[in-house]
Amino acid sequence: MEAVGAGEEEDEDEWLVQSLSLYKDLHTFELQAPTRVIEWARGSRVCVAGYGQSGGQEILQLVPPPTLQAKETQGLCPERDFKVECGGFSNRPVYSLKHVPDTSLLVTSGPPDSSLQVWQVSAEDSDVIKSVSAIPTENGTGQPWAKIATISARAPWVLHGSRLNSVQITEVESRKNVYTAASRNSEELSGLAFLDCNTLLLCCAKGQLCLADVRQPQSPLEAASLPSAPCGERWCMGVGRGPPGSDSSSQPVACLSSGGHLTLTDVRKTSESLAAAKCRVSSPRSGAEFLCVSWAPALEGCLAVSGFDGTVHVYDVRRWDGSGREAEPLFVHKGHAFGGPGGSAGPPLVTVHTWHPQKPRTLLSAASDGSLHVWDWVQPCGKCG
Amino acid sequence: MPEIKVTPLGAGQDVGRSCILVSIAGKNVMLDCGMHMGYNDDRRFPDFSYITQNGRLTDFLDCVIISHFHLDHCGALPYFSEMVGYDGPIYMTHPTKAICPILLEDYRKITVDKKGETNFFTSQMIKDCMKKVVAVHLHQTVQVDEELEIKAYYAGHVLGAAMFQIKAGCESVVYTGDYNMTPDRHLGAAWIDKCRPDLLISESTYATTIRDSKRCRERDFLKKVHETVERGGKVLIPVFALGRAQELCILLETFWERMNLKAPIYFSTGLTEKANHYYKLFITWTNQKIRKTFVQRNMFEFKHIKAFDRAFADNPGPMVVFATPGMLHAGQSLQIFRKWAGNEKNMVIMPGYCVQGTVGHKILSGQRKLEMEGRQILEVKMQVEYMSFSAHADAKGIMQLIRQAEPRNVLLVHGEAKKMEFLKQKIEQEFHVNCYMPANGETTTIFTNPSIPVDISLGLLKRETAIGLLPDAKKPKLMHGTLIMKDNSFRLVSPEQALKELGLTEHQLRFTCRVHIQDPRKEHETVLRVYNHLKGVLKDYSVQHLPDGSITVESILIQATAHSEDQGTKVLLVSWTYQDEELGSYLTSLLKKGLPQST
Repeated sequence: MEAVGAGEEEDEDEWLVQSLSLYKDLHTFELQAPTRVIEWARGSRVCVAGYGQSGGQEILQLVPPPTLQAKETQGLCPERDFKVECGGFSNRPVYSLKHVPDTSLLVTSGPPDSSLQVWQVSAEDSDVIKSVSAIPTENGTGQPWAKIATISARAPWVLHGSRLNSVQITEVESRKNVYTAASRNSEELSGLAFLDCNTLLLCCAKGQLCLADVRQPQSPLEAASLPSAPCGERWCMGVGRGPPGSDSSSQPVACLSSGGHLTLTDVRKTSESLAAAKCRVSSPRSGAEFLCVSWAPALEGCLAVSGFDGTVHVYDVRRWDGSGREAEPLFVHKGHAFGGPGGSAGPPLVTVHTWHPQKPRTLLSAASDGSLHVWDWVQPCGKCG
Repeated sequence: MPEIKVTPLGAGQDVGRSCILVSIAGKNVMLDCGMHMGYNDDRRFPDFSYITQNGRLTDFLDCVIISHFHLDHCGALPYFSEMVGYDGPIYMTHPTKAICPILLEDYRKITVDKKGETNFFTSQMIKDCMKKVVAVHLHQTVQVDEELEIKAYYAGHVLGAAMFQIKAGCESVVYTGDYNMTPDRHLGAAWIDKCRPDLLISESTYATTIRDSKRCRERDFLKKVHETVERGGKVLIPVFALGRAQELCILLETFWERMNLKAPIYFSTGLTEKANHYYKLFITWTNQKIRKTFVQRNMFEFKHIKAFDRAFADNPGPMVVFATPGMLHAGQSLQIFRKWAGNEKNMVIMPGYCVQGTVGHKILSGQRKLEMEGRQILEVKMQVEYMSFSAHADAKGIMQLIRQAEPRNVLLVHGEAKKMEFLKQKIEQEFHVNCYMPANGETTTIFTNPSIPVDISLGLLKRETAIGLLPDAKKPKLMHGTLIMKDNSFRLVSPEQALKELGLTEHQLRFTCRVHIQDPRKEHETVLRVYNHLKGVLKDYSVQHLPDGSITVESILIQATAHSEDQGTKVLLVSWTYQDEELGSYLTSLLKKGLPQST
């Protein structure tokens, strides 16, 4: 029946009092198992999944509390809790999860190979997320886990691959292959994305970007190194999603390195840097496994960075001077260091973050101790943006 | 097969009141007796007709157990005991016994005085009901009768809330009531030992929730109060005399100190004496750390919180006031509310559930024009907020509790079976136990495997060990004996002893079988052939040729005679007792195969 130790409680109290002025709203949750995915699914649902090595990892589809609904809060929102709407069991750890737009399907990937698993969510009939099929990959055993991106333009498609030479697009329902990238390069990928229904952007872990056109599968992929990318660092990318209808290639790609370097490049000219800065972070502890960078969908010029420690940084790229020097974050979310279950595992590491699609300053972040935070920060100097 | 039967009482699929009937080893126990707060008619009471059709309630039910003082767990108790009729024991913890009558009386006042209902229990009924209550301590084994015992465990949630273990014979059930698994400032987390009950009964509504932390909810409360006070508004917090008031005061006091705030905080009179009583109860119930926190601050000697005088309500400027009663249905809190409702800078924070018909319930439902006495209309422009500080378990918590108690089966009430398939699978997969989800009014039967101890007589034990093979813990051994069930005891004795005790004579059964053998020689030659044959085949047995011409194999007798009509055929008479049945039939089939030619 003992509560938390006195000293820890005081720190938490202190942070809580500070948080009153830092956040408009703040929720902290404890998941049964930590997640490294937070994905928005149909109907404003949020999906999370376990990544532990033992079997029986849960995939959960959650209904967010009313405070997170897109409408402005009406002053009377007693419910501050997530509801578990559906759940399923995966016998492999889930390292990546994507919702297939306009469907009730989810696609996941994870070790020990680069194959994908497809799941069906039918919330009205039952609360079980059923495994419907697997998309195997040739020579997939022993390969690193596949990175995934989904789109439903001509049909529900999933773009996946673990290396540059294994990039392909598979039709989700028929499992038919519709595109294979022509490349002999076995560079490991850290991310991939659809810029539009014909254009793909691939990011290699060593810091190279590749553009590909789905309509020209024969032309070999050309990887262009990021300008002044220091050697030995791992890179990941964040692709902006502008307002619907806009040309995705108009928004720069943000690339983040394990050393804390942030580079913005034009999608069409990846060899030139548009802006660069260094995050004020220490080198990540766990070898850049959870590096994550993403553009705010409703806040111009802002992006969020996490994976170095227990914090999430928000930067306004319009304030960068392009010199690559250390930039001042607009906001730092420190919540994951406080109030968690604590214990022997040491301070938690933020595994993933994502922005709310409509609320400009609301983010969701998860950490290795199973915590899940939803926060809406206060703009410090009152400028809208 | 022995079984435990569980029936959640109540109509339909609705959640909102707890009342569960459990039948275990011939005992009938009612768990909680809650009122459904959403209904105004008889639907608010559980459907007792399920039990009353069995005859008098007092004869049928062995006891009633109440987990905590929330009305959805004890609200129907006086109705049940005084109006339906039950005179047996009612068990609950000491704080629950102290607080229940106060809440029941409050509730009765609102329902009868304010709403003019007639079919409701009276103040006297509440008093009479409480006289039947037996208060229990945590971890104290209480003997309800010779076979039935109960034990309360700490549940957290609210002051006095307990989880109960009900044991009858060697079968047991644990009922969780409402509980929480995350400790907070003032209440620890629920705890139970590895009692391995046959069944654990819990609410399913929690299992699908992932709760926002207590801290963040406290933060939200502080933020709202702070913002109102900062813009010069007044904050009214209606509280129950006994409840979270103390906790919220400490929270505000700490915050005011830290932020160096000047706005006054008031605590209305009338609250103080009752709160003192609550404080004393709380102290004995809670743990060391919390005791220290409370002892340090000498009850209501707060630096920033002062006693309220009704004249202060008219003072200009910001302030925060805690006033009773909690649902704004009468008294001081309603008075203050009427003064402040018209100003949009002000705020009222409702800290708990409000019963239908109260002003609290109306404003929480969104009503902004209220009809007061004398047909006066009150326009509510002040901000209305609701804050729930109740600590409940959630998905993670339920799994933790199951892990602690290690039940053999789990039963969840108040869920829609179709929507609980995932949870069911989760529990079954992780703990390899069955998970049941009955609807209200539906009875679930859980089969148990109780261990029944049996005494074995020394004579029988000696005889079995004498036969040869030593007992091996890993190999089951077949033993023959007689089971005597007398006066609730079981004994295994030898058949002879059993017959002696019963005063019966043992009968001997002897079988004789005829086997025809083709052999023209003389009888004694046939006997010799048989003897040699058997001696050769049955090497492990004692085969003897007796002087009178018969053969014995162990205790089986074989004699040969000539066939009356046919000299070429010999008739072997094989005779054995019932006890030697196996060997006897083996010998017979062996002999039927015929003798080998060579002998």
